[in-house]
This record gives sequence, structure tokens and C-alpha cells, in this order.
Amino acid sequence: MNVEGEDTSKKIQAKFVTKLDSPFKAPATPYVISSNVTRLGLSSVVNSLLKLHHHEPFDFLIDGELIRMSLEQFLLAKGISAERILEIEYIRAVTPRKEEKPSLHDDWVSAVDGSSPRFILTGCYDGLGRIWSSAGSCTHILEGHAGAISSVAFANSQDAESVTVATASKDRTLRLFKVDTAESLDTTTRLGAYKILRGHKAAVQSVVAQKSGSMVCSSSWDCTINLWDTTEADSEGVTATVKRRKGNNQKEETQSEGEAQTTFVGHTQCVSSVVWPEDDVIYSASWDHSVRRWDVPTGKDTLNLFCGKALNTVDVGGEGSALVAAGGSDPILRVWDPRKPGTSAPVFQFSSHASWISACKWHKSSWFHLLSASYDGKIMLWDLRTAWPLSVIDTHKDKVLSADWWKGDSVVSGGADSKLRISSGISIS
Amino acid sequence: MAPTKKGEAARETKRKRGSVNSQKPEPAVKEVKPVEKEVKSLKEEDLLLDSGTDSDYDGDSLSGSLNSDDFDSDIFDSEDDGSQRDTEDGERESLGDKDHGHEGSVGNDDNGDESEQVDSEDGMEDGSDEGSEQGEVAEESDSSEDEVAPRNTVGNVPLKWYENEKHIGYDINGMKITKKELRDKLDSFLASMDDKKNWRQILDEYNDEEVEVTKEEQMLIRRLLKGEAPHADFDPYPTYVDWFKWDDAIHPLSSAPEPKRRFLPSKWEAKIVLKYVRAIRKGLIKFDKPEEEPKVYDLWGDSTSDQKNKHLTYIPPPKLKMPGHEESYNPSLEYIPTEEEKASYELMYEEDRPKFIPKRFTSLRSIPAYGNALNELFDRCLDLYLCPRVRKKRINIDPESLKPKLPSRKDLRPYPNSCYLEYKGHTGKVTTISTECSGQWIASGSTDGSVRIWEVETGRCVKTWQFDEAVKRVAWNPHSDFSILAVAMGRDLVILNTELGTDEQQENIKELLQLGNVPEPKASVAAIASWLPDEKNGGIIIRHFKNISSIDWHRKGDYLSTVMASGETRGVVIHQISKKLTQKPFKIRGLPVTALFHPSRSYFFIATRKNVRVYNLLKVEEPVKKLETGMREISSMAIHPGGDNLIVGSKEGKMCWFDMDLSSKPYKTLKNHPKDITNVAYHRSYPLFASSSEDSTAYVFHGKVYNDLNENPLIVPLEILRGHSTSSNGGGVLDCKFHPRQPWLFTAGADSIIKLYCH
Repeated sequence: MNVEGEDTSKKIQAKFVTKLDSPFKAPATPYVISSNVTRLGLSSVVNSLLKLHHHEPFDFLIDGELIRMSLEQFLLAKGISAERILEIEYIRAVTPRKEEKPSLHDDWVSAVDGSSPRFILTGCYDGLGRIWSSAGSCTHILEGHAGAISSVAFANSQDAESVTVATASKDRTLRLFKVDTAESLDTTTRLGAYKILRGHKAAVQSVVAQKSGSMVCSSSWDCTINLWDTTEADSEGVTATVKRRKGNNQKEETQSEGEAQTTFVGHTQCVSSVVWPEDDVIYSASWDHSVRRWDVPTGKDTLNLFCGKALNTVDVGGEGSALVAAGGSDPILRVWDPRKPGTSAPVFQFSSHASWISACKWHKSSWFHLLSASYDGKIMLWDLRTAWPLSVIDTHKDKVLSADWWKGDSVVSGGADSKLRISSGISIS
Repeated sequence: MAPTKKGEAARETKRKRGSVNSQKPEPAVKEVKPVEKEVKSLKEEDLLLDSGTDSDYDGDSLSGSLNSDDFDSDIFDSEDDGSQRDTEDGERESLGDKDHGHEGSVGNDDNGDESEQVDSEDGMEDGSDEGSEQGEVAEESDSSEDEVAPRNTVGNVPLKWYENEKHIGYDINGMKITKKELRDKLDSFLASMDDKKNWRQILDEYNDEEVEVTKEEQMLIRRLLKGEAPHADFDPYPTYVDWFKWDDAIHPLSSAPEPKRRFLPSKWEAKIVLKYVRAIRKGLIKFDKPEEEPKVYDLWGDSTSDQKNKHLTYIPPPKLKMPGHEESYNPSLEYIPTEEEKASYELMYEEDRPKFIPKRFTSLRSIPAYGNALNELFDRCLDLYLCPRVRKKRINIDPESLKPKLPSRKDLRPYPNSCYLEYKGHTGKVTTISTECSGQWIASGSTDGSVRIWEVETGRCVKTWQFDEAVKRVAWNPHSDFSILAVAMGRDLVILNTELGTDEQQENIKELLQLGNVPEPKASVAAIASWLPDEKNGGIIIRHFKNISSIDWHRKGDYLSTVMASGETRGVVIHQISKKLTQKPFKIRGLPVTALFHPSRSYFFIATRKNVRVYNLLKVEEPVKKLETGMREISSMAIHPGGDNLIVGSKEGKMCWFDMDLSSKPYKTLKNHPKDITNVAYHRSYPLFASSSEDSTAYVFHGKVYNDLNENPLIVPLEILRGHSTSSNGGGVLDCKFHPRQPWLFTAGADSIIKLYCH
């Protein structure tokens, strides 16, 4: 018997299981491992078992909980017996493996949308929206706003030939652009809006599009949420056609103006963020410290979550697309479960950031993963199964103003360093 | 008197009995004389024997008969007799006259041999003079019969003891009274036959005498036999006299007889007593034990302990050392210092010298008087004289308990406590900030001559104006439709269009800032301020005659007040933007520092260096109120949105809270900052106020004002906000403003950074 070895650490019998496919499938035989190994140790063990060419980081789950301390501490904390053979599930670590080169803007990148797998849409403080096909290659520039763009959204990205894009600006208007995707991707095309949506009395903070349909929803500093129609206003008599001289190529274009179809009134301060997860439900977050759920047909708020802090961002997703995540004027990302009756306390709180949270997004396919961006210049990836961030993307030099998932395995983000950053290679099973 | 009366009645009955016995030979009355003579002679003897006891025969006979007859009568117990005799002795002399009278009459009877006549006369008298005689008897009856002492003094003893003796007893002088010789039956019979009064005679066995029943007694006996009252003058049916006055009585008095229960022992009391008895037996009631005297007195014990309790300010005397062997008058030799030792004592300092040097004396007698007595007495007197009369009490109080009970900071959330956002861009000290009414933007001015507008949410600088002079003050118009900015620098007040409103608002603002037809100002005002167009920025410049130190907008956004610290009496003017008009309504005493509009009413506050004056804008001649701060130099002032409370910051770091309903003196003075307070601010909706200081900190307080006038404002210090650099060359926080809607605080630092503290 090796007395010294026993002194330093106990031995635990463990079996590695996984749902991953063949290159990452380890033999399901139990191994004896030291109890003081951490995630890194376990990862190297699995790597040595798999005999991979590249070192692949893994994350480990015991009973649905991610291991974020030494195995011994984890077992002690969770009260799991170390006598029997442990079943450790491993997944590929959720962390960006590749950092694309930054896409430069002229000013702060205030908004980014990655909901289309083909493009990345960004809004900038110089009043221009941009469409990027990949890192560094800007295909379209969306012109027209007199003020900084505060939010952008793909309104209809399913269409093969053309994509409708909505931008919201601090000049109190929204603009709708129709982007022809069939155009060549080599040159940058400048585009004007086909429709201008006027009606907000103050800066528009957020815009979001209905998933299936032709509506966009916007929220503003004037405490209202407006719903707009995106269709080209040929039939509508109310819209006036104005002729506008384009500064660049002297071409005259027709633009129609639209008015708000519905206005949701209820917030008492700036409505900073809206999401439209289903056709008839809109969630909004406001500086009046509340998250509200609006019923679109009736225009009434059906839920009012009180947070206590001014909120900047809200997103809905997770299990059953029902969890509400919101962040705002403090470094804590909170997740509520509105299905729980009688409570307005958040079910999860993630507090690793150091400053205000500017953006939070649920992963489209995973129930557990979400990202958050903060003014401290960091983007953090979170898993509901652990209170520690899965990984921290610290590529921005200044405040991160917006972030989104792109294509399911990348994070796109824009910040006050005027750069669009793409961190790719995130494997979320 | 009741027993004596009873006794009397009993005697009466006795006498009656006696008379009944001797009544039968009533007709033979006349043979009594010789006996009478004997009686008389006897009586003379008696008189001879004892002149003092000139007793009445009736009395004698009566008492004698009684005593002899009823020894075992329970009415006449010995005590009674005694008392009777006492009274008799006392009253004997007073009744002497009457006795003599009797004697006289008896004598008459004896002398005049006309017994029959007398008898007849008596009989006559029975009929005629009965009333008067009876009256006499009634008068004397109480005393005369009872007072006469018996001749015999043997007392209440059975007479059979003397049956075989020659004497019947003793007289009052102790001489034996010899028995009379008994007459034989024949003699007595003959005597009875001879003496017709014999039937009236009765033998008094006690005194061994024959007693004759007098006439009055006969009458008495007769009345008794008839069943009448013994006394003749007793009226059995007197007329009823109702002494009680029924008419005048206020309260009805019960004439009911006393109930029986008054005379019965109380059962309830008996129960109580029984209860106590049982409790005592069971030991439930304990009696105090008698104090035990200490057997031994502890001569050297601490006698002060009981005195301590008696007197609050008792100062115990110092404890003395117990005397040892060396202090004995005849200590052992080893205690006695040798001559060398004594000599060494002499060499020592007086303080070090031993106080007591043991000495030996052969006897107590040879001990001399104490040498130091006088000195020590003097010292003692000095001690008493110099002893402090007032005793200082040290009180043990937990300093924590002296702190006022304040609510916990946790309960007073939200309040700004941590800095997350910084607004960087200025190159000089940021001297002033102002928040836009919606809370979307803030404006700031700096010593580098730039005015910037920042987006609160992201910290982005939206707009910048560059001027030549250091910016002193910026103030955003409180009206939401007119997003214009008043900037004070040097002597100029610049009205800037921020171009942040909607298109419609923009047009209104442009129209407002058109300086087309400026009305001709009065000469007095023209010297103070002149309106000029600002071509560069499209606004208005109002040029003053002195440097501007402070500006404040009226809540409606049309009036703007400027304060020129060196303007003295012309130091405060009010501009009306819509009419491009300047007014100078106030006559200021002292140097104005800052001025404020009331948030809801037409009042105006002007702070001079030491005081704050409140003016009514409708009647500006005289201040309505003067608030005395008691501070050296006021630096800033802020008014609660409710309008009744005011905070004033001073250059010595003090801050005063005025409750204007309460008094003109500060309600609270907070001394927190070690250096000058640069600005104070109230939150518009949250119960918060803050002060910024040149010590690079800002303090946040909870300041709740109650609607109830009886409740004083609650002031709780919440947080010290640090973060601005504390460089030695004039660091500090130069301005602080609350976000209009969030519980956030903006601070402008001398380190050219604006910080936002969030909750």
C-alpha cells in the first residue's frame, strides 16, 4: 500500500458517460481517479482516454450539476456518496474556440442581431446599419437615420431573396429596409429605407420583429411600446410618399411613412427592451424596474415582475421558452420563472459581472445556456446548472453594448470600441 | 344602682315575711314597752360605745335581718355588701339629722305614755297624713336604711359558728358582743301580752336584738301585700312624655329595637380567625423573628457598610492598618530599634522616616501623652476643610446606547451606493452638472470651457460646445418641451438649444430663442444685464455686469434667476426668457451666494453668506422669513420638492436642514465633511438628499418628510460615496445631482470625470 498516496487524496471510482458522438465517446469502464481533481484534471483524463489530436476541453456533470470545484468538495457539498461508482457525464466545454478578426465600425456598435444564420446585422452610433456576411465583410449599409441607431432586428429572414430589416434610432424613428440577398457579396451596397415609422416622441430604444408575420414592435423613452406594420404601404392611403434626395448617388427613391398600429401604455419610464417570443406575447423591460408581459390582441399587460433595478435588457427562453432573463443597472443577471405562481423572486441570479448588464440572450436551442454582456467589457456564457460563468469573452476594450448568438455556435457582440466581435466554435449540444 | 335596688326589693320582701310571721298577734299591741326600753338602753350603750355610729334602728334591724336570713342568697354576695357598706359609710353623716329625728320621735313615743293615743294618732295619721309621711319615707328610703352599719362585724358567716359561744360577734372596736340572755317562753309570752307593741318586734339574730317594725315599714309591707309598688310615691302609670321631636327631623330615625345579631358573635369573623389559625399552624403565615443582637462587636470590622446604604454620598474613611505588636506599650525587645537604627532614622528624609517608633514602657501609667495629637488634629481639620463637597459621579453608559435609534440602512433602500458608470471626456475640472427632466441626458460644464451632454444610459457624450471661459454653472430647463440649457460662464449667461426634442419642439425652441424685438429695458436694469444674440450657437447671451455665481430655473421654465456674488445689492436678477426681460426685484443685504425658486409656490430663496431670506415673489419688498444658519459661509442650497424643507451647505463642511414650518433655526445640523461642501441636492421623488464636498466624497442621506406636521423629518446617513481621486491640488467633488427618476446620484469631480452611483 502506498501510504503517501492515501494521505494526499482519496480515490474515487468513476465512469465517464457522454451523449457525444464517436470521436468523443470514451469506453464506459470505471476508472479510479483522485478525488482532488478539478474540471481541468478530469478533462485531461478524458482527453488521454480519447487520444485526440487536439486537446479538447470538456465540462463534467454529476447528477445534472456542472463541476466547478474539486471533485471531493463537490461530492461533499452535494452529499453524494463516494463509495459507489460515480457516473460522470461529460460534454464539450461551452467556450469559444476561435476568435474572428474584428469588424470595424465608425462609431460605437450599439446593436447587433444574429438571428439570421447568413448575416449579422449591426447598428452603429453613426446612424448606419450594417449587414455582415462574415467577419470583416460588410455587404450592405443601411442609411437614413439622423441619430444613433439603438436597436436592429431582422424582420423576415426566412425569405430566400430578400430580407427585411428594422432599425430603431435615437432620432425617434424606425426604418425598414429590404435587403436583396441575391446581390453579390463582394461589394458593399448602400441602401435606403423603404418605410419610415414615425410616432415615438422620444428616442427609440429597442425594436423586435414578430417571428412569423409582418409586424415589428418598438419601445421608446416616451414610455410606450408601439406595434408597426412592415408591409410596403402601397394600398394604405394614410401614408404619404415623400421624395428624398439621396446624397450619394443622386437617385430619387420613394419612401413611405407608417404610423403605429397599436400602442401599449403602462410603463412609467423608458422602455428599454422588448422581445416578441410568440405571436401574441410581448415582454418588455423598463427603467421603472419592471418586466411586463403584454397580450398582443388585447394590449393589456398580463404579468408584471418587479425587479427593483432599472432594466436594460430582457430575453425569454430556456425551458419551454418560458424563463425571463433580464439585466440592468446592476451587475446581476436575473432569471425569473413566471410559471411559478405567487412569487416574483428570481429563480437564478448570476452576479459575476462588474458593471451594468447591457444585453442578455438565451441560446436558441439549448434550455440551459444564455449569454450576458456588460459595461465591464465582458461577455459571459452561463449555464443554469452552475452559478459560475462557463466562459468569459473578454475581447472588447470598452463597454459591450450588445451581444447575440449567431448560428448556434458563435457569439457576436458590439461595443464602445466600435468593433463587431465574433467568437465562434462554441459547441452547445 | 340596679343591684342595690334589687337588694332593696329583696329586703322588703324579707321584712314582709317577718311581718307576716308576726302579724297574727296584731290586736295585742301595747305590751312592747319594756322591750323598747331595752332597745333604748342598748342603743344608749351603743351611743356610748361609738358616738359616730348613731345608727337608725330601722336600718340596723333591716340589715341585720337581711344578713341573718339570707346568707346564701345570690343577690347579696359579699361584694355587694361591701359596696353597700361603703356607700353607707360615705353618706352616714349627711343623714344624721334624719336619724335624730327618728330618735326624737321614738323618744316621744317612750316619754309620753300615751301609746294608744299615739297609736290612734298614728292610725289617724295613717289616714290623713299618709301622703306626707310616705313622701318622707320615699325620700329617705334609699339611703337611711342602707347606711346604718350593723353592730356586729363578724360579716357574712354562718351564725351557727357562734351558737355555743357567749358572744355573737365583735363590734367595730373588736370588743365581743355578748349574747343576751334568752328569756324563757313564759316571760316572752307575758311580755308579749303586756306590751301591745310586741307583735311588731322581730329578733335580729345577727345583732342579737329585738327590732321593732316602724309605721312606715308597716305601710310598706301592707302595700306589698296588696301587690302594689313598695314606694307610695311610685306612679305605675305616668303620663307619657314624648321627648323626641318628630317634626323637625330631617332623616328618619329608626325606632326599631336593636337586632339580635348585634349581640351575637360574628360567624364570619370566626371563620376568618379560624383561617388565620390554620394558616399559622400550617406555617403559611410567618412572623418576623425578633432581631438578634450581635453577640460580639467587631471592633476592626468594616463599619461603613451600613452607612454606605444610608447616605448616597458617603465617602468611606481610609482604612487603617491594624495595630501590631510593635504598637503595644510594652513590645518585645526585638521590636525596639537600637540606638543606631534611631540615628539612621534621623538621617532619612522626613517622608521616608518611619511614622512610629516602638517604645517600651514598664506600665500603662508611665505612657506619656501622644505627642502628635495637636498636629494630627490640625491635619484632620484640614482634610475635612479641603475635602471636596461635590462628588463627581462617573456614569457607566454604553456609548452605543447614546446613539439615536435609526432605522437600518437595509430598510431604506434604494439609495445610490456603487459606481458603475463614468462619463469621461472633459479635460478640466467638471464644475457643474445638470440632469434633463426625463433622465435621459445630463449636461456638464467644465473649467476647460466645454459644455457636454451625455447619454445617461451608455455614458456617451452626445454633444459638445466649446467656450472660451471656464463654465461656472449649467442648468437644464425643467420644462420637458423646451430642452434648452442655461450655461453661466464669467459674466455671460448663454441659453443653448440642445436640439434633442422632437421636430415640433425644435421649432418652438428656435422661436423662443429668436431675439427679434427686445423691449427697451429700464436704465437700472440695463446696467445689470443686456440681451445679445448668440450667432455661433443659435441661442441668446445675457451679459451681466459681474461674474455669475449661480443660476436657477423656475419650475415652469420661463424665468431664470442669476446670482452675482460680487453684485452686492444688485446681485440677484430674474430673467424672463419668453419676453427677454430682466428684472431686479430684490434689495439684497449682504453678499448673495445662491438663489432658488420654490418648487411649487411663488417664493424665492436667497442665500447670503450667513443667512437665507425667503421672499414672496408677489411682494418682494421685504423678506417673508429669515433663516439663520449659524454657519460661517454658505456655499449651496437645495429645496425639498415638497417645498417646506431646505438644506444649506456651508464652506466649513456643515449642512443644515431647515424645516420652515418649524422655526427659523436649523432643525438639524450635520457635520460630516472635513472640507467645504460644494453642493447639496434633494431627490425629486425618493426621500434622499446628498452633499458633495472638496474632500472627494459625497454623502447620501435618507431624508424623509412626513405629511403629518407633528412628525419631524427623519434624517439617516446612508452612504459615503468615494471614488473620485483625492489629489492634493484641489481635488474633490464639485457638484452632485440626483437622477430625476432613479435613485442614482451623479457626481462631478475635479478629476474631470462624472460618476454615476446606482442603487
